[in-house]
Amino acid sequence: MMSSENMSQLFAKLNDLKKVFTYGERLIPVIHSLGEFMKETVPLLENINRSIAESTLKIPKASNQIHNVTSATELATTEILDLVDVLNADLASIDKCVVECLEKEKDKEDFLNSLVPMLKKENTQAFIDEFLDRNKVTSNLKSVIDRIKKMKDDTNSITLSLQVQDITSQQLATVNHLIESVQEKLASLIEDFDNTKIVEGHDNLNLPAGASFDPNARYSRSAVPQQEVDTIFNKEMQTASQAEIDKLFN
Amino acid sequence: MNLKFLIVDDSQTMRRIVANSLKNLGYEEFVEASDGKDALIKLAADDGLNFVITDWNMPVLSGLELIKAIRSDEKMGKIPVLMVTTRGVKDDIIEALKAKVNNYVVKPFTPAILREKIDQILASNGGSN
Repeated sequence: MMSSENMSQLFAKLNDLKKVFTYGERLIPVIHSLGEFMKETVPLLENINRSIAESTLKIPKASNQIHNVTSATELATTEILDLVDVLNADLASIDKCVVECLEKEKDKEDFLNSLVPMLKKENTQAFIDEFLDRNKVTSNLKSVIDRIKKMKDDTNSITLSLQVQDITSQQLATVNHLIESVQEKLASLIEDFDNTKIVEGHDNLNLPAGASFDPNARYSRSAVPQQEVDTIFNKEMQTASQAEIDKLFN
Repeated sequence: MNLKFLIVDDSQTMRRIVANSLKNLGYEEFVEASDGKDALIKLAADDGLNFVITDWNMPVLSGLELIKAIRSDEKMGKIPVLMVTTRGVKDDIIEALKAKVNNYVVKPFTPAILREKIDQILASNGGSN
């Protein structure tokens, strides 16, 4: 026979059971609306998935275009450097010719001046001076040499400006690296969602192996970046040297 | 001192620009390498190479790894190395210093800067390596 204590326990359990049923009754509408929400969301998710898949397939094309830009600028830069080399060689040869002309002029002048004592006539020096003055090309030749030097400086400036190609190619390589990362993430997202692989997209992503890049690469002709580097370098080098000295004494 | 440079950069354009700048500064001997690994092969093959100018960002073996490899080698450990790179942030400079780079130039550079740094390195090395 059940004791009153056992009966109390039984009622408590029944009470708990009743609460569970009451809770379940309240939960049913929530589960129902969750089901409705899922029904509405699935087509939307499928749509998003389709869009992501389409975008992912376009990424390799964008990436290849960027790579093509780098290749084209590198080719153009090489052509400009070739032309600058030809110009420099021509300038060097013109420079040499002009210097030879100047030397010949000097020889001519010396020769004519050497004739003066031999001729020993009162107006000989004046005649030679007049002759030299009328034939004077020295100043013109010196001016040509100055212009050649200026042109050489200009070709050097062109060469130095072409460093922009390396700097922009590193920036473009950074963009390509980002694109590659986004594509990998999107592809894995699609794979997780409906278990399909964007194999086509991965195959088309034709990046050069181990392309080097620097997201902070900047083209600036200002002396400030180098001055900043020098300041840091010298300061840190002193610190390092002091650390080495301290190490020796400790 | 007769300097024979090893110019290390994955960009053909930059190798030519550095070589042209060195020519304008009166230096005549250079060898080129397209990455750190290529540089180590060329250094091992040519005892005459006594000055390295290297980029940082390169495939296969970076400039930083190249410096570490040079410094850890008994034979070529004392060859002066000048880093010429786009990386100009403090952490990078400190990292290069830790690897025992001799000096540091940020791109784009001018021949005057290149000359200044080469002279500084040679002066601090007492004109020899």
